[in-house]
Formats: sequence, C-alpha cells, structure tokens
Amino acid sequence: MNFLPLAHALASRQDLPVPAWLFAWGASIVLVVSFFALAAGWRTPRFEQLHERSLGAGVSRVLLGPPTQVLCGAVGVFLLGFAVYAGLEGTEAPDRNFALTFLFVTCWLGFPFFSAIFGDLFRPFNPWRAIGRAAGAGFRLIAGQRAAHVAYPEKLGRWPAAIGLLAVVWLEVVYGKGGTGFNPETVATATLVYSGYTLVMMAVFGAEEWCERGEVFSVYFGMFGRLGIFGTRDGQLERRRPFAAATTWATIPGSAAVVIASISTTSFDGGQEGAFKDGIETVYGWFLDWGASPTLSLRLSGTIFMLLCFAGVGLIYLLGVRGMRTVPGAPSLATLRVGFAHTLIPIALAYLVAHYFSFFVFQEQAQFGFLLSDPLGTGTTDLFGTVNWEVDYKVLSANAIWYVQVAALIAGHVIGLMLAHDRALVYWPDYRNATASQYWMLAVMVAFTCFGLYLLSVANG
Amino acid sequence: MKDAKKLVVALLVLVAAAAITACGSSDSSTTDTSGEENVPVSGQFAPVADAPAGDSKVDGEAELTRADGGTTVSLSVTGLEPKTEYVAHLHTGGCDQADPGGPHFQFKKGGSEEPPNEIHLEFSSNAAGEGEAEASSKREVPIGEAGSVVIHSAEGESHHEAATEGSGEAETVMASLFVHEGVDHSKEGPGHGAQPEHAHSEKIACAELEGAAAGEGEATAGAGEDVPTIVVRDGEPVGGIQTLEFSAGEEIRFRVSSDAAEEIHVHGYDIAKDVPAGGTIEFDFPAELEGIYEAELEGLGVQIAELRINP
Repeated sequence: MNFLPLAHALASRQDLPVPAWLFAWGASIVLVVSFFALAAGWRTPRFEQLHERSLGAGVSRVLLGPPTQVLCGAVGVFLLGFAVYAGLEGTEAPDRNFALTFLFVTCWLGFPFFSAIFGDLFRPFNPWRAIGRAAGAGFRLIAGQRAAHVAYPEKLGRWPAAIGLLAVVWLEVVYGKGGTGFNPETVATATLVYSGYTLVMMAVFGAEEWCERGEVFSVYFGMFGRLGIFGTRDGQLERRRPFAAATTWATIPGSAAVVIASISTTSFDGGQEGAFKDGIETVYGWFLDWGASPTLSLRLSGTIFMLLCFAGVGLIYLLGVRGMRTVPGAPSLATLRVGFAHTLIPIALAYLVAHYFSFFVFQEQAQFGFLLSDPLGTGTTDLFGTVNWEVDYKVLSANAIWYVQVAALIAGHVIGLMLAHDRALVYWPDYRNATASQYWMLAVMVAFTCFGLYLLSVANG
Repeated sequence: MKDAKKLVVALLVLVAAAAITACGSSDSSTTDTSGEENVPVSGQFAPVADAPAGDSKVDGEAELTRADGGTTVSLSVTGLEPKTEYVAHLHTGGCDQADPGGPHFQFKKGGSEEPPNEIHLEFSSNAAGEGEAEASSKREVPIGEAGSVVIHSAEGESHHEAATEGSGEAETVMASLFVHEGVDHSKEGPGHGAQPEHAHSEKIACAELEGAAAGEGEATAGAGEDVPTIVVRDGEPVGGIQTLEFSAGEEIRFRVSSDAAEEIHVHGYDIAKDVPAGGTIEFDFPAELEGIYEAELEGLGVQIAELRINP
C-alpha cells in the first residue's frame, strides 16, 4: 500500500518493540501480582488520608512567599513568550527549533514525570495563571475592588480540560503527522490562540477557578502532581504520603474523562504505527477512495481512531464500574464512576513513561545542548557554548528501555490496584464485599496493563 | 460472590493465554513456507528500462519449480529479434532494482560463476522471434532466493574474452547438466562468467519470481555477500518503505540507487550521502546505536527505509 510517509518531526529514532519473552514475563508478573492483591488486601484505608507533615514555616515563607510566586510566574511567562518567539522567528526545521522540543517534550512530558514524584510543579510556573493573577491584582489596585466573575457551571466540571487534552494531543500526533502541520510556526500560532482563549476564560470565571477545571495544562499536570509527595495547604508547604492526594482529585465532574483522555491518547500514539496501523490504513484508503486528499484522509482516519481509543478506554472503565454496582451495598453508579477515576492516574502515568521515557531522555539532551545555545536554529549563535552538544543515543540501550517500559506498567498496575482497594474499603464497610467489588477493578486494571504491554510489543509493526 | 471470583479468575487466565498466544503466533508466521515446496513460481517477462529498441516488445513467462530436492527453470518468450542467440540467468533480486535482478543466483555464494553453481538457460529465437528454454539443477534453490529470470543478448557477451579467460570447460558441464531447447550447441561459448557489470547494459527482459520477497530485507540482508539495495523511483522507495534488520555491533551495509539526484540521510546515526541521478551509493557503518532509525530522502523528506538495530 502506498501509505503516506511519516516524517517524525522530532523523533529520528523509535524504540524497538518489546520482545516476546519480556512480554510474557511482564504479563505473568501482572497476573501473579493481581492474584496476590486479591488474597492479601489490607482492611483499613491507607491512602485516603494525606498524613501530611509541614516542612516548617521558614521553608514555606521562602518558597511560597509573594517574591517567589512573582519570580516563578515571570519565569513561566518569559519561557512561554520565548517559545512563541522562537516558533515564529526561528528555523522551520522542527528538530532545530527551541519551540517544539520545549513545549512538547520538556513541558508536556517533563511536568507529568516530575510532578508525579514531587507534586504539582506546573502551578507556580503556569504563565497564564501568573498573567491572570497579575491582571486581577492590577484590577484591584485601580478599581479598588475584586473583579466580579461569572459562577462556573458546576456540571461542566473538567470537561473543557478533557476536550482540550484531546485537542492538544490531536494537534501533535494527528494534525502534525506527515510532517505537514507540526512545524514551529503552527505550534507558536496555536499557543497564541490557546493563550488568548485561556485569558478570556480566566477573566470570565477567575484565574484559580479556570485553572482548577478548564485549563488543560493545569488540570493535566495537576492530576499527575496528586501522586507526588509535596503539596500546599493553608499557605504551608507539606510533605504527604505518596499517591494519597490523588484520592480527592476526581471529585469535580469530568475528571474521569481527563484521565481516560490521557490513557487513550497515549494508546493511540503508541499504536498508530503498530497495533492500529492496519486499521488506520484501511480507513485511510476509504477516505482516499471517496476523493479526499491524502493529507485530509490521514488526519480523518487518525481522528477516528483517536476517538475510538477514547471510547474504548472509557467503555472498559465504565464496564468495571457497572460490575461493581452488582456487589451488595454498592453506592450509586455516579458515585462509583467518580470514586474510582483517580485509580487510573497511575495507569496513565505508566503509559506515558512506557511510551515516551526514552524519547524524553534523548530529546532533553537536545534541549540542554544545541537548542539552548542556538534556540532559533540559525547556526550562528552559541549562547552557552553547548551548540555542539548533539543527542547521544548510546546513553540508553534497547534492553534498558525495555525494562523501564515493562517495570513502569507493572508499577502503575500495582499502585492503581492499591488505590482502588483503598477506595473500596471506604464504600463497603464489609471487608468481603469490598474485596468482591475489586474483582471488577482488577479486571479493568489487568485489561489496561496487558493492553499497554501489547502496544509496546507490536510497536512500529 | 464465589461466582464472581471464578469469573474473574477465568478472565485473567484467558487474558494471559491470549497474550501469550498472540505473541507466539507473530513469531511463527514468517517461517511457515514449507508447504509451498512443489508449487511452481512464475513471472511475466517485461523489457528492462534500458532494453535495446528492437527488444522492446518482449513478452512471455518464466517458471521455477522445486521438486524432489531439485529445481527446474523454464521460460517461453515472444517478441525477440528473429534467429538470435540469447542467454538467461536466475537472479536473486527483483526486477524493480536499478540493476534489474541484482546479482546472479548462486548455490554457493561467492563460488563459481558457472553452472552448476548458477542456473543459466541458453536459447535461440526462431524466425518469428519466439524462444523456449529449460534448465534443471539437482539442487533446490532456497525459497525466497529465486528473485527473477533475466534475459541477456548472447551477442553482447564477449566470446573472445571468455575464451581467453579459459572458461571453456563450462561447455561440457552445461551440456551434461542442462537441457537446452532450440540451442545450437556448436556455437556455444558462454561468456557470462565474465564480470557482472558487463551484463548490465546487455539486459533485455526480466521476469520477477520471488524478487519482491527477497527484496523485503531478511533474505537479501542476511545472505552473506548480498547487500540490500533500496531503489528510489519518482521520489519514492520501490515496494514501499524497506525494513533492514541488523544486530548491534555488526556492519550496517546497504545501497541506495535513485533515478534522481538526492541526499540520503540516516537519522540518529546522522550520516548523509549524495546519490547522483541514475547512480547507486553504498552505506557501510558500524551498528552502534540500538533502536529503529529512519533513512530518508533529505530533499523531499520522504522515508525510504527503517533500520532496526537489535541488541
């Protein structure tokens, strides 16, 4: 089949598929772990409380004080502005322009990875929040009163963020496929459009309100931040039990859609040249036959499969929730749907690590090498003397990447099971019923983890 | 509650079984060709790109049959110059290559360039420009290695050169091993033991047998001296993006021939070479980076191959 050649804008290298023997080991370990989880569950929730410890008033005053807040916000605004500038003014070569690697690798992957360890790192650097708060402060200064905001529709919840998340990934892996759309200028323009939209929404609903619910990056990075060990409460910086903050994340409507969007978009990207390749090519062929142009056909077929992934992942979760309803003493379907959404966050993180870990490690060498010293790709600047630092692909062997991938999926599986078991103990005071409900979540988790392993093993056909 | 537990257990076992069988089946699919042993493979002759004007209407069929551990190759063609001598060889590659057919098929690679190590068919056309020939070998051509049958004009093959090189004994070997139809044996003086580059300009027609399969990578890439060639025509790789597999530590060798001048860029390794219009270049570098890397036409941004370097 004369399939459109795929020009990967940034990645000049792809991971080898996980070999069959490692796939078999991974799947076996997942099953053993799962049976073990059925047998040896604890009887009182462990993660439902944060068990936080303050890091001390001094630390909080320095790290959370107004000067630090202003400084971090300014850094965020500067970097965003610089990325847009590089995108508009710099080279059109995607891999030589600061903008793409910074936005889609350093930020898009870096914030989830590090927030999952340390807590929400994006919030202090969020450029739109910084601008919104500065605007609010200015308004107070001039008008002498707080800006009045429209009450955010409670039912809308995090749906704008979920849809925005799909749109961002769509821009990267569907629209940008074939090397036609994913160039620095397009991304810079899209960033400007998104910034305008975000600032308007903040003006309408208030900066903090919109960041908590509608702003894609705040919600998405913040979700992973709930797994991390640092957080703030009442202006105090605290250390908390890992994963515990995730238990209160999904209370806003639409949160489940955000985590499902995360899992499904990663699945789509991981499978579009492997597991879903034949299907996508078939649909692509249909569109070609109907007279659509190759680029349009490629985008339409990709869009359809991305939405199918979203529907498929959502359906598996809802089936699990539906199954739990059959256990005596179960709360309402809506309660369960919201109540177990956070247990998928570790799975979403595991998918992200499995699919992008090596890409992140390699591409960050470019970020802190030639892209830092020659951000516009002009070939004439060398700001920090690192312009000759190219990517060294030898830092990770294929074996190392495979082990990280499989280990990430197994770890995500285990953490997801722990959170689900904990939540079940909250809903079912009777221990046996709680365990019974967990057969269903276990099936959901096994499905996701094995699907993740499968995607890795057939990557790139 | 007991039922639910059983259900989940059954489900888990099913998932595991499915996962493991899914893995196993993908491995076995490539090797299961043993059942095709006695099925003849055939291909249609078509003139090669730079065939002489008088031979531009060549048509016909070549067929290869593997039976009882031996191989029989036959051909039947029309549209040749009347009453002219021709010779055909079994080649390893497909017809779509810049050098149609690639190298001659040899049972022992790098060995003798004469039968019985190669398969040659000699014949003369009749007054109507038709010709037939058949040759048998007592050995079986491995599946996937019978790329194509290429017809050359025998006139182009220098008799004198061959004679001075002392390859005369080939005549008797051929007479005993091959059945020729419509061949004037008295005139036989095979010179195709000469340099392969001679044969290039004399090629008339090519019939593809298993050339596509051989060109896919493993058969060509793994076969000792044979270096896989990626043919670029009209800015695209012939036969789609080629997959070339290597193991870390060995040499990565492949050729690219193109009808237009281009820069060929191997990503990751970041090696670039210019290929002139109608020319061929060879890459040869150590496989020191693991993973999947693209080779592309830098100017057009079109991928032509993916190099898989396994640990």
